[in-house]
Amino acid sequence: MGNVDGRATAITVLTPVWPGATLWLKLLFFLGRHLEFTLEKLVTLSFIHYARWTIVTRFPDGGRGERLRYSYLFFESNFNGTWEEYIDAFSEVVPWRMRAIWFTSFGFPGPLPVGPFKDYIRKNEFVANHYWSAYPDAATTEVLSAARLATAAAGLRATAEAMTPQEFRAAYDRMLTSVQHDL
Amino acid sequence: MSAESKNVSGQAYSLTVMAPISPGRSSELAAHLDDLGSGDDSPLAKVPSTHFARWVVLDALIYEGGRQRHDSWSGPRLLFTSNFDGPLDAYLEGLRTGLGAAGDAIWEHCTDYPGHRDAGAFNRWMRARQLTSSLFFAAYGDQTVQQVLDNLRVRQWLTELALKGQALDDAELQDRFLREYPR
Repeated sequence: MGNVDGRATAITVLTPVWPGATLWLKLLFFLGRHLEFTLEKLVTLSFIHYARWTIVTRFPDGGRGERLRYSYLFFESNFNGTWEEYIDAFSEVVPWRMRAIWFTSFGFPGPLPVGPFKDYIRKNEFVANHYWSAYPDAATTEVLSAARLATAAAGLRATAEAMTPQEFRAAYDRMLTSVQHDL
Repeated sequence: MSAESKNVSGQAYSLTVMAPISPGRSSELAAHLDDLGSGDDSPLAKVPSTHFARWVVLDALIYEGGRQRHDSWSGPRLLFTSNFDGPLDAYLEGLRTGLGAAGDAIWEHCTDYPGHRDAGAFNRWMRARQLTSSLFFAAYGDQTVQQVLDNLRVRQWLTELALKGQALDDAELQDRFLREYPR
């Protein structure tokens, strides 16, 4: 049981939404899907592998779904690092985006100061009973840098056989220089 | 934008399945999930193309107090989420066959679960309990699990070669690069 697999951490949050606020959330997520800049900041956070928000207006039951008094906002994230670091970074790097999303939920204290915000997340969080990652020891930045490295290495591999050893050394050094930040 | 496309970023797919748990069985289910093996021993290790996945027993709705009124539902839910290489139907089939009896041991705690032997019934049961993502973020939605694993292997190999390469002459370096290139 737990939210951790290797360096990967899960967060699962389900919060009740103020009546009428789902319309705002739908608009917000519509913009998020169509305007790239809304998610760009998440890229700069650089430790989130995958995250999602879902507005739950009916809880699935195999039929039309069960409608409750409130709609709920479901959020999950898969990230590397600790829970504390994650919440700190979220509240400091994207406070306005967070406010725009979660002010719709009952009890949301705002992202700053971070103490009450952490208390709020803890209260609304569900701990995973089973969590699994295919590459639990790889950070998001490592996955991204590995892709750049593999592309550079494949480019060299495609031409390496036809090179003299001296030409290869020069090309190899150029390749390493171009990807030195990814090693 | 179709409901289905909201679940997608690049080739990555965000699956959210929320199923009612049979009355009185949520504690037993939570204990079963808590005891599942981790890493290669996790049943999810046998489900191809899964990046990150989790099971979470949602045992009670959160009550924030204040102006929120108590909400009630018909009972606890089992949440299953996965971030995987699309499309959905191929994944659900891999989920069905990969988990096999291990999947039955989990979802049999939920109402109307048909078991894994009937492919059509399993697919319909999952889809009838699926929630559509409102906003899905994938840091590298263009990369499959296999590509991520391959790239990480290249990264590790190249990092080691970069350290050893300084002591090799040009011909040895070229030879090792061509011989040891991971794919």
